[in-house]
Amino acid sequence: MIRRGTEKMKRVTRLVSTVVLAATVAMPLAASAADRSVKVLGWGAKSGPLKSFGVNSEAALRSAIAQINAAGGVKLGDGSSAPLEVISYEDSACKKDQNIAILRKTTSTTDAIVGMGATCSGSCQAMFGVLQKKVGDSSDSGVQMPILSDTCIRPGLAKISEWAFRNVPNEVAMYDKLFAWLRSENPDVKTFSGGTETDQGHSFITHTAIIVQAAVRHGFEWVGPSVPELGPKVKQGMKELQAAAKTQHWLMGDTNYSVQARKIKKQNPDMILVSSHPFSACGFLKEMKRQKVKPKLLVGLTSSASQETLNGCMSAAEGLIIPTGFAPITPEAVSANEIVSEAGGFLDLHSAAAWENAYLVKAAVEKAGISANSDTVAEDRRKFRDALASISESAGLIGPVTRDGATGEASKPYVYVQVVNGEWKVIHDPR
Amino acid sequence: MDDFWFEFVEVTQSIGDGVLFGSTYALIGIGFTLIFGAMGKLNVAYAAAAMAGAYSSLAIYILFDAPLVVIFIVSAICAAILGYLVYLTCFRFIPVHNHLAALMASVGGLFFIDEVIVHATRGSPLAFPSMFSEAYFEVGPYGIRGDLLFVFFIGLISTGVLLYVLFRTRLGLATRAVAQQDVAARLCGMSIHLTNSTTFAVAGLLGGIAGAMTAAAVGILSPVMILPLTIKGLIVTVIGGLGSIPGAIIAGLFVGGFENVVMYFRGIDERDMYVVALLFIFLVFRPNGLFGKTITRD
Repeated sequence: MIRRGTEKMKRVTRLVSTVVLAATVAMPLAASAADRSVKVLGWGAKSGPLKSFGVNSEAALRSAIAQINAAGGVKLGDGSSAPLEVISYEDSACKKDQNIAILRKTTSTTDAIVGMGATCSGSCQAMFGVLQKKVGDSSDSGVQMPILSDTCIRPGLAKISEWAFRNVPNEVAMYDKLFAWLRSENPDVKTFSGGTETDQGHSFITHTAIIVQAAVRHGFEWVGPSVPELGPKVKQGMKELQAAAKTQHWLMGDTNYSVQARKIKKQNPDMILVSSHPFSACGFLKEMKRQKVKPKLLVGLTSSASQETLNGCMSAAEGLIIPTGFAPITPEAVSANEIVSEAGGFLDLHSAAAWENAYLVKAAVEKAGISANSDTVAEDRRKFRDALASISESAGLIGPVTRDGATGEASKPYVYVQVVNGEWKVIHDPR
Repeated sequence: MDDFWFEFVEVTQSIGDGVLFGSTYALIGIGFTLIFGAMGKLNVAYAAAAMAGAYSSLAIYILFDAPLVVIFIVSAICAAILGYLVYLTCFRFIPVHNHLAALMASVGGLFFIDEVIVHATRGSPLAFPSMFSEAYFEVGPYGIRGDLLFVFFIGLISTGVLLYVLFRTRLGLATRAVAQQDVAARLCGMSIHLTNSTTFAVAGLLGGIAGAMTAAAVGILSPVMILPLTIKGLIVTVIGGLGSIPGAIIAGLFVGGFENVVMYFRGIDERDMYVVALLFIFLVFRPNGLFGKTITRD
């Protein structure tokens, strides 16, 4: 009887011990699942004259990630959920060396699976150059870190590396369609002229190789000698174009635009192109207003479709038409606009892309099935990159964004906005 | 002949525009030269403090919808206070003969002020109210901007007042005395630090007016203006002659006209190259500038 009781006692003790042991082993595991997060690290210009770009993108990225986390976060490979976490949003100050330094630091010292943001095209070009060119190329010791950019808009940058991805508008398509539409809407507009800032790669190249060419292609006539078509060697073509087209030039920090405005006034074109960032665009527009230059049409650079332009020269910019990848024209865009405004930022074509990128990261993480453990970072980065490359379409704020996995580029919906009574108004929606 | 006449009008118009805009360079140059004349040191943070004064006045304009005259006065006062602070932080406690330390401290001051402005405004350009922005006088084939004409006259008046202060008041006498022989000035009962700090404040007053004038002439305020204005101000100071106020005025107008005519013929890509080449030529062939005297400290 006693023996049976002892046996029973032993079994109970064994059972309790097993339960306690299992609980002891399981507790840290359960805790680690709860503690896991999918880490991302952002960077952009948060100082210097382009500070607003970084500030707006950070506000948009953090707001979107907060919304994703509030809705349950992202699903990991093991079926559990984890929040997205912005480890930090660094200041790259639109400097090439700083962008590269942040990229290297992020790759080697953090568990971030993707770098997001980066402000200037020139900086992105340099930064993409240190990434591994082809995925899996063992002879290439380049950095293996997925980068998802929202602002570097100069055409063709993502093809530099298979680790580079962008969610920026396709300016070639945007301006081509814009001038086609302007041609059909304004048959009386025949001639055009314009100017650009030469110390900003995006402004200068977009003006020379995209905007002027698109206008010519759709039957607008450059005031002065005829503009040649760009040859297969683009650089050579741009030189020819500059020599022939007599485009007016200025610098981003210039304070005196009298000579350029007077030369354009003398040309008396029907349409004027101002391919410049807000500060110098405003300086030039104000000088044109002083000199009473009144074209029938005024077309600007995508990057100037922002609040900064209205802050700087609301009145002088009246009538300015710009194609843009963002306008609060859908319920999602209106809602995001309000949320980002409350977070202290403005939503424009660049920061809206930062918002969309947060959701793109969620989609890629869930498709990749990553583990988000500290010992699987390199593996997770590769899985994430492959998943990102395989996503052919994602939800954007004003419509679906299609993606080309081979080039890392996006094709985004866009609208045409114009400054009307001191506000940006959508004047045409080609979606 | 018609083509020649047309080109002549265009070139002279460009020169005229540049000369008028050069009055803003002259005002900045005067500030640099005034401080150099008094202390024999370059205050590289001067243009940044001047623009910070303009930003402060813009804040007053936005907050209180202040009239334009008040904006210019506020800009001058704020820049004067900043000038005094720059003196305290970058010059006051650095040994008199350590010129390099003072120079580097003021470079630090320049970037510090620049970054404060960037952080306060996010680097976003802000519209600055203009005086007479709509005034545009057409005289024959020429056009003259009313606001630049206004800047030009304010520059002349400011310079006149400054020259009066320097040569007809006790403060001016003290400033010149300290500049010429600081030990003798101290033995005569003058406070070197008080004189220097007052000079910084007076230069700041002028800088505040220059900052507001420049912003009014461009119609916008942006941090990207600070570095080019600093460089132009320094070039004007060297070409005019370090320490020479009339030299700074003439050099300011000259540089304004010169860069516009270069821009007309050679474009923006070569403009600054020629302006810097001009500086180089002066440094090599006329290091004392147009009106500068050889420094003859006892």
